[in-house]
Amino acid sequence: MLEQSQTKVERAILIFTIWASLGFLGLGVFLEGMARDLWALSAVGVSVIVATLVAHIIVNAVFKTGMSRGEATLGIGLYGFLGLVFIASTIGGGMTPADYYAGLTLFGTLAVGFLVYLVARHGLRGAFSHFHHHREMQSNDS
Amino acid sequence: MVWLPLYALVFIVLTLYWARAAALANGNHETWFSARHSLPGWMSAILIAGASLGGLAVLVVPQTLASNSFGMPALLQAGVLLALPGVVFFKRIWLIGQRLRLSSLSELLRVYYRSQFLAIVSALVAVLFAVCFAGLQIRALGSVAAGLSDGALPLEAVSLIFAFVLVGYVVIGGMRAIGYLGTIQSVLGIAALMGITVFAILSIGGIGVLNEGLQALGSDPATSALFAVSGVIQFTAGLGREAAAGHEGTVVANLSLAFALLGMQASPVILKVVLSTSSARAIAAGQTWVLAGAFGALVVLFAGALGAAGLVAPNLTVGPLLSAISPWFSAWAFVGASCAVMVLAGLSLFVAAEALVRTLYKPNFHRSLSTKGTVALARIAVVVLALVSVLMQALTPVTLSALAALALPLAFQLWVPLLGMTWVHWFTRSAVLAGMGFGIAGVLLTDVAGLAILSFLGLDLPWGRWPWTVHSAAWGMLANLSVTILVSLFTQRRSASPEAIDTRRFLGEFLAPSDGVQKLRSTAWSAVLAWFFLAVGPGLVFGNFAFGAADDVWITGIPSQWAWAMLFWILGLGVIWFLAYRMEMASPLAQAVPPHAPAPTLPPHEDDVRFVERARLRALVLTGAIGFGLAVLIALAFGNTGVPQ
Repeated sequence: MLEQSQTKVERAILIFTIWASLGFLGLGVFLEGMARDLWALSAVGVSVIVATLVAHIIVNAVFKTGMSRGEATLGIGLYGFLGLVFIASTIGGGMTPADYYAGLTLFGTLAVGFLVYLVARHGLRGAFSHFHHHREMQSNDS
Repeated sequence: MVWLPLYALVFIVLTLYWARAAALANGNHETWFSARHSLPGWMSAILIAGASLGGLAVLVVPQTLASNSFGMPALLQAGVLLALPGVVFFKRIWLIGQRLRLSSLSELLRVYYRSQFLAIVSALVAVLFAVCFAGLQIRALGSVAAGLSDGALPLEAVSLIFAFVLVGYVVIGGMRAIGYLGTIQSVLGIAALMGITVFAILSIGGIGVLNEGLQALGSDPATSALFAVSGVIQFTAGLGREAAAGHEGTVVANLSLAFALLGMQASPVILKVVLSTSSARAIAAGQTWVLAGAFGALVVLFAGALGAAGLVAPNLTVGPLLSAISPWFSAWAFVGASCAVMVLAGLSLFVAAEALVRTLYKPNFHRSLSTKGTVALARIAVVVLALVSVLMQALTPVTLSALAALALPLAFQLWVPLLGMTWVHWFTRSAVLAGMGFGIAGVLLTDVAGLAILSFLGLDLPWGRWPWTVHSAAWGMLANLSVTILVSLFTQRRSASPEAIDTRRFLGEFLAPSDGVQKLRSTAWSAVLAWFFLAVGPGLVFGNFAFGAADDVWITGIPSQWAWAMLFWILGLGVIWFLAYRMEMASPLAQAVPPHAPAPTLPPHEDDVRFVERARLRALVLTGAIGFGLAVLIALAFGNTGVPQ
């Protein structure tokens, strides 16, 4: 039991370290691209964020586990929040084309990355069943 | 200006989150001091590397290069230099700690040598690291933060925020929190240094432009001397008395600075991490690949490049650079740089508080103090030490700097008792104690704090700081080792403590060298001596021109001393690997360590009059010594002592 919780903490420290160093750096590069109106620079930032995600998944594989519930909630929550900000900014009309494409690159890449992760981890059918089963169980419960 | 407070706030919240996680994992106060000796090996490896090299790589090396150029190339070998004592001592110290079931250097010294004096020296070194050495680095970061906020955040406020965060996680989570957070902070520190260096190179216009700038400085007769070491030795009276010809960076200055760096891994601060680790499996990998490899590369490549950029363009040192880049980057980089400094600051605060309470206060003044009471008192000591550091940063920065300069040379003096404990068993107790006394005197008589104190007392010595361009660490060690060897020769018949006798027998049996190791012994000695000679010793003279003299064509495109340092960093990594694995000096262990029986404890209470009188006398002497020390410190800080710089 003690060993299990120790392993859990070790994994959490690694994940935290990866996001604090690489993830925030990627975010910085992404914002720098938007500030300078350079799509290519923002794309580099997106690739750093994707690399961070890949590092996260590698750590998960080493510890033979998936994303924790908290991580998934935080990730999806942040994605949704930033997506809303992006949509609001687009409607507001204050974005340059480079900003617009940078945002699309970020959200598009993360969405595709998320699907690829699900398919790679659970298989094509399993990825779908991941949601499908849940609904089936809910309907059975009712 | 929203990014820095935002990042800082997120960082503080997450720091406190990890402190809470550590406190929950601790379960109760019993494990606050040692994390139940269960820190994973990989975590300790990163923590040790971060604590010993973080602040040095981010602040000291770039700043020294930017202001003094390549005259002190020994600094660039910091990764290998720091890994060397790790390979020599860590495995054996860890084994002794397991055998005697002890978790701090002060306790080990007290039990092995039966010496209160050595325990006090160890505690003193820890306090110097906590209050002054780390305090000085925090002050430097405070200036950067004040610049970043355009003066909105005064230096004192930044120091207070640092102290709040440090006290917060150390008090809550103890050694475990330091382990958890130290790992995160170390990696963030590395990332920040790499990021800042990339910004510096981009700002200057690329590596080509940087090298052109260096070449221009090398060709200028006014600055070309700074690209080379200034001879083997210069018999000057020392800093503050007589300036060296050219600059102070002679070969012996480099070599003796290398000795001072060796002190870091012999300090109670770093050995605390070793003694809190669950196994010795990761020592070899930690010292070879993490410290000498990754962190060594960081120093020689990134800190070197950042320093070179600062040399070419003074606005590209850490402070001005962070003010010039985008706010989200500067906030991220500042938090990372802060992390690099906080690893050592948090750890040393903890170790100093533990040493003061467990090694000094409890055995001498309050033996019946419970574990819970000891932890509570140590927590209070952490707060007090942090406050003293903040006050010194604000009120007495000169004294802070003078005392901080003593931390490494005094820690280096601990090499002799550690050698006696782990390798050179014919060093006797009385010899080690006498040697340590002379070593401390040697350091104090050749460094700024000691000279200032003597000057205050009316004794003006005819030399200044680091006479003959030799660092105080080397002067101290010269006195220390000479006296220890001499006294040992005459005191061989004196018996050692039962714990010392058992430890020697145990190490001899447990670590009996294989035939292969015995055959390679002379090769190992040769490799280490050759590396020292060429990388940080007289061989540095070859480095002046090996890849092109300062005012000539540079074969590698970079200054010859820098290329020399890169070459010997790679060779040094090979030497560390050889010692750690082939010589089995830090190789993993398979067997469990049987505990010493009976477990060492404090000498029992006795009711006879002699014992009570002795205890009172000891308390009186200690109180007098502490009072005298405080009086001298106050005089040094606020009196007009004419501290030579």
